[in-house]
Amino acid sequence: MRAFHRNVTVFVGLALMAATASAAPKDKKAPEPEPEIEIDPTAEGGGADGGEGGGEGGGDGEEIDMGAEETAPPSDLSADLAASEASGPVVQTGELKRTPLSWQDILVVVRKPFLKARRTELRPFVGTTMNDNMVRHNVIGGELAYYLTDVLAIGVEGMYYQAGFREPFDLIARQARRLPTVNEYKWSAALNFHYVPVYGKFAVLDKSLVTWEVAFTAGIGAGQSEVVPRDTKFPGFTNLLIMPNIGANMRFFLTKWLTVNVGIRDYIFIDKFESLDREMYGTDIDMAKQNGESTLINNVMFQLGISFWLPTSFEYTTFR
Amino acid sequence: MTKLLFASLVVGGLLAQAGTVRADDAAASSNNTASSGGRRTSGLADDVAVRHRKLLVAGRFELTPLFESTINADFRHIIGGGAKLEYHIGDMLSFGAIGVFSTGLNTKLVDKVIDTLEADVDDGTREPSRQEFESRLNSMPIHGAAYISLTPWYGKLAAFGAAYVAFDFYFQAGVAFAQLKSDCPDNICNDPAPGQSRPGPRPGDEPIPPDNNPNNDAPLNSGQRLGLYLGGGVHVFLSDFIALDLTVRDYAFSDNPSGADFNADLAVTSDDSRFIHHLFFGAGLSIFFPTKVKRTN
Repeated sequence: MRAFHRNVTVFVGLALMAATASAAPKDKKAPEPEPEIEIDPTAEGGGADGGEGGGEGGGDGEEIDMGAEETAPPSDLSADLAASEASGPVVQTGELKRTPLSWQDILVVVRKPFLKARRTELRPFVGTTMNDNMVRHNVIGGELAYYLTDVLAIGVEGMYYQAGFREPFDLIARQARRLPTVNEYKWSAALNFHYVPVYGKFAVLDKSLVTWEVAFTAGIGAGQSEVVPRDTKFPGFTNLLIMPNIGANMRFFLTKWLTVNVGIRDYIFIDKFESLDREMYGTDIDMAKQNGESTLINNVMFQLGISFWLPTSFEYTTFR
Repeated sequence: MTKLLFASLVVGGLLAQAGTVRADDAAASSNNTASSGGRRTSGLADDVAVRHRKLLVAGRFELTPLFESTINADFRHIIGGGAKLEYHIGDMLSFGAIGVFSTGLNTKLVDKVIDTLEADVDDGTREPSRQEFESRLNSMPIHGAAYISLTPWYGKLAAFGAAYVAFDFYFQAGVAFAQLKSDCPDNICNDPAPGQSRPGPRPGDEPIPPDNNPNNDAPLNSGQRLGLYLGGGVHVFLSDFIALDLTVRDYAFSDNPSGADFNADLAVTSDDSRFIHHLFFGAGLSIFFPTKVKRTN
């Protein structure tokens, strides 16, 4: 740190790579930073000593390698020292023009720790019905989504449903002597579009930071439901459903290739139920279906899943 | 509800694991740089996650007028308004109480069932009349809880790259209370001894056996209840002292919402009550006092 103060020119060269660290000093042994820093603009981008920043961001006209930081081999101390000696000492010529720069002028913009553009998300998930007090549908499903940009994606999903009756189904039958008219869902599939307008981070127990985002989804798809006959001597029938959906979910970033997703999705469709006068149609499924009662359904589901991202890593295209 | 709580625990566990992973990465990075010549060493890994942070809740009172509604109620939606008063001892720990006055609305299920029931009481059938069915459903005029609250997560978010707001997640546990009410008139609920034999009208007469008709029994689903309270929610800070408060609350206590025979013993008794989760969604506007915030170092 003291050497840093002595050699302003070297600092500017290093600053391109060490901006984050230098803008947020945390060396408790070091003296308090000066209220102002004086730099030499003529040395901007120079980095003649071949330091980390100078080597990549130097102003010698060479093309900047954005991916160098991710792909560079591990540092070798002896090789670095040899390279430093070969480059020779820093030579300053001419009169230095000093420009005051305070710590407040240094803006630290932390890069997003996770990039999604041009990556594919494979998301297996489980879910359960939230708004049906007669039948609970548990689902297992998956979605494959491709991110066109960091905030826009297109994907396809599929779900398999497993139905189970909830307590009120039995209660109504036993207490009110009525058999509820219900359908169970079998499967569904959809083409979805995702938009990610909200991005944030939070601290867990004031120790570590976790980044997350909120994505909104809209899609169109199809599915199948099956009538649960009130009287088992009559066969049930199936319905093919057009199922648009809307929803929102939160995504928590764990690693560069793994995220956790929690969300709510509303599948909207018109389902056809067994009519109250089903006995009139007997075993004639076509007539029973033709005279079924259509109802608009909002099947709101809670979904929990993990996402695997391919490729498993990514490269930044902007400066740190 | 149990599955939702389990899912929350899974997510929480994964996030805690994420924290560990990142801490390990930082340590590994520090070790790597140290071994490569010590040019890039940093104590950031040992530091707090956020410095110069606004203490948006620590040492402040929180008063929240709120609206609350049941989620996926079976027989009656409970909808009402109330207030929450909470004191934040520190940045993570607080205690408080909530009280809500509410009314009950029949669910669509109840409306569908009632339309198909017989209009008049007929003790010759096992099915209830419309009045027998509806009058034994209970409502919850008052409910609330006293709780302690933990706020382990706080952060900030950017919406549409323009609006930057702070938020925190909190979890609550405590004691729930509720006042339940049902109005079954005497001409409907007129069985003096549900499920029990009664002595004959004259001495020496054979005892009168139970009528085995639960439709004329008192619903036994009124009165005070104490139970368990669990909650989880988020503050979205609109300013330094106003926040949008969104919460999912579970008031769990003994109840028999239909007021009917649950265990199929042909009588409504206290045995028909069971421990039930009453799940609510709440939305409110939190006002923090004092209105000025402090910052960490």
